[in-house]
Amino acid sequence: MNRYLKLVHMEIYRFRYILGGLMALTAVFQISALVSTLLRELSRRELLGENASGSPLSFAWAVASTNFWFIIPMLICIAVIAMYVFWIWYRDWVGRSSFIYRLLMLPTSRRHIYLAKGTAILLFILSLLSFQMVLLLVENMIFNLIVPAELRVESFFAEIIQSNLALKVLVPQSFEQFFYAYGLGMLAVFVIFTAIMLERCYRGIGILYGILYVGACVLVVTSPVLFLGLDESIYYFYPGEILAIASALCGIVLVISLLLGFRLLGRKITV
Amino acid sequence: MIEVVDIHKRYLRKKVLSGVSFTAEKGQITCLIGINGAGKSTILKAIMGLIPLNSGSIRIDGEQTGKAVYEKAAFVADHLTMPLAMKLSEGFQFMEEFYESWDSERACELMQFFKLDPKERIGNLSKGNAAKYSLLLGLSQDTEYVLMDEPFSGIDMFSKELITEVFASELMGERGVLLTTHEIHDMEYLIDKAVLLQDGVVRKSFNCEDMRSSEGKSVTDVMREVYQP
Repeated sequence: MNRYLKLVHMEIYRFRYILGGLMALTAVFQISALVSTLLRELSRRELLGENASGSPLSFAWAVASTNFWFIIPMLICIAVIAMYVFWIWYRDWVGRSSFIYRLLMLPTSRRHIYLAKGTAILLFILSLLSFQMVLLLVENMIFNLIVPAELRVESFFAEIIQSNLALKVLVPQSFEQFFYAYGLGMLAVFVIFTAIMLERCYRGIGILYGILYVGACVLVVTSPVLFLGLDESIYYFYPGEILAIASALCGIVLVISLLLGFRLLGRKITV
Repeated sequence: MIEVVDIHKRYLRKKVLSGVSFTAEKGQITCLIGINGAGKSTILKAIMGLIPLNSGSIRIDGEQTGKAVYEKAAFVADHLTMPLAMKLSEGFQFMEEFYESWDSERACELMQFFKLDPKERIGNLSKGNAAKYSLLLGLSQDTEYVLMDEPFSGIDMFSKELITEVFASELMGERGVLLTTHEIHDMEYLIDKAVLLQDGVVRKSFNCEDMRSSEGKSVTDVMREVYQP
């Protein structure tokens, strides 16, 4: 357990500059877009003399008005994390130094390496999400500093989240939705990890095994919706039952991915 | 004792190892000799559990390869095995955190001996210094066996001398050393046992001192007989 936590720490340490860069990029894009939008709006109102008569400005309005510049850094973060799901493994094999030798020779269970990389990805996602939440508070403060008190109204946090297309998806309003969205995301990460293990163990033919494995997992996970949910002429199951079947299948795919990944890393891996 | 018994390894249809068997004892330097592609590195990787075997068995002091073995045997690869962005001192910290067998004092001594700068990034090391650093990481573990893959490959004369000095020093102690090479001249006088490999098969295995005293042949002489009959 102790060594697992050390491995998680090491993975985070290795990604720290990229993570910091992504956070800085998000902050720069969003704050500069917010400031320029607010200044433009205030000067427009001043020119038209709408300051007293116009509707008050809210932070939710400001976020909605800068939708594009809010979404771009989020998409960049998602793309970088998606690429890093692969790179977190391949970086240890390629280049002048093969760190995988050292990792595999650590006097700890090899499953800790697998789990540590998965945990690190989850922590990167959650830390970027948390940073976005904190950034919204900072942006709200900036909004309050720029917009005079008589021209603004307060926004509720839920209202702010709903005003942005990406935030609406990334920060679901119910915990259940949050659990499903991020649970499915982590399931996808572990399925990809196991596909990478297949490729690393069997190399050339392993690419085919990996693709087939991912395809099979996608088919299994989506099968309740594809075969039981779309054709409304078949009413064998209630939606709640279909959801339960889908959840059970996700659980099975997760367990198989973890067990297969552990076995491949423990017994079949080739440096 | 490291026991390698009838190991077979195949990459697709290509046979890399075909029934290799030998032993490497504690307190001795055993050398796997063979030209490129003979299967030397594959054997070391198999001993350290870095590649799966098709058949055969490997035991270190009677134990199968597993996590406990990594505190008992250290592996010095023929290239760097630490992240290039790390500083040399951070590499030490990493080793200290994960290995109970890590000896910080010895690591500092070797650092001074090899004249390496702990603040330097691993990625900035020259080939010779990278080899020294790899050796340092292997020798600073208080293990009973050290496995080295081509420790003299591509490094300058002075670095070779320094490394050879370490071989002959008390730093090696009573450890068992298993190394590979295709350039025997640098270390012929150091090795106790030679295992000559060709195309994944052990052609000859002998004790160097016995060979010298009984038949008056050096390792190079035996190599000529085996490889150029």
